[in-house]
Amino acid sequence: MVLIIGGEGAGKRSYARSLGFSDSDMADAVIDGRSVVYNAQDMVLAEPSRVNELIEKLSEKAVVICNEVGSGLIPQEAKKREARVAVGRLCCVLAQRADKVVRVVCGLPQRIK
Amino acid sequence: MPLCLITGGSACGKSTFAEGLLEACSVPRYYIAAMRPVSDWDRKRVARHRAAREGKNFITVEKYTDIGEIRLPKRGCALLECVCNLCANEMYSPNADKDAAAEKIIRDILALDAQCETLFVITNEIGSDEPAGFSDYINAVGRINAALAERADCVYEVVCGIPLRIK
Repeated sequence: MVLIIGGEGAGKRSYARSLGFSDSDMADAVIDGRSVVYNAQDMVLAEPSRVNELIEKLSEKAVVICNEVGSGLIPQEAKKREARVAVGRLCCVLAQRADKVVRVVCGLPQRIK
Repeated sequence: MPLCLITGGSACGKSTFAEGLLEACSVPRYYIAAMRPVSDWDRKRVARHRAAREGKNFITVEKYTDIGEIRLPKRGCALLECVCNLCANEMYSPNADKDAAAEKIIRDILALDAQCETLFVITNEIGSDEPAGFSDYINAVGRINAALAERADCVYEVVCGIPLRIK
């Protein structure tokens, strides 16, 4: 599995295309038969308590794309606060399992694992 | 005396990485906790971190402000967690001098470092999200981070549990 992370609009999907995947291979925050999932953070934000289940499902994908969140102030709202921590943990576990982790900054892919 | 700064976003694996660095040091090993637990959320975080440190032979020192006043009983390595809590405590405590907080914290951390074989300092990246007010606080943390990084012998950014050495 390849984990691609980076900020919003950083060029993560463009990088996935460069790996040979087309837009029809990419699922937006939904688990189905497609091999690439993007906006993984939205799935966590929707149901932070089911993050472990989500990690297992995402681990089977060829490519997981997730926005980097958590570089701002701690949100006041409890659910948002938990979700933010859950996204962080999801990324740590997926990075551990991934064969390759790529962080995209300003469209430039940087391989960090 | 060597200073090592560890930064990263929320739940990116900073503590786990930093604790690993401290564990590799000879004893005594000090863990300096700056988080003042006020809410249930805080208490949960503290309990989680405390459980993770269990059995690692760390001496915990709780100090929420004025860490320059800490006198370590014996020279050793220390881990300070974290700049963001410390800065909030210093800026928002009664009688605080908000404008002077950043400079004071930098001085305090360097005073602590002078007593250490190596000091590891954990901080957070808090300035790269949608603005939510508190710009003076975000700015102060940013200035502390930059000043510490300038003096530091090594700086790491932890991303998804992966430490990236940036200095």
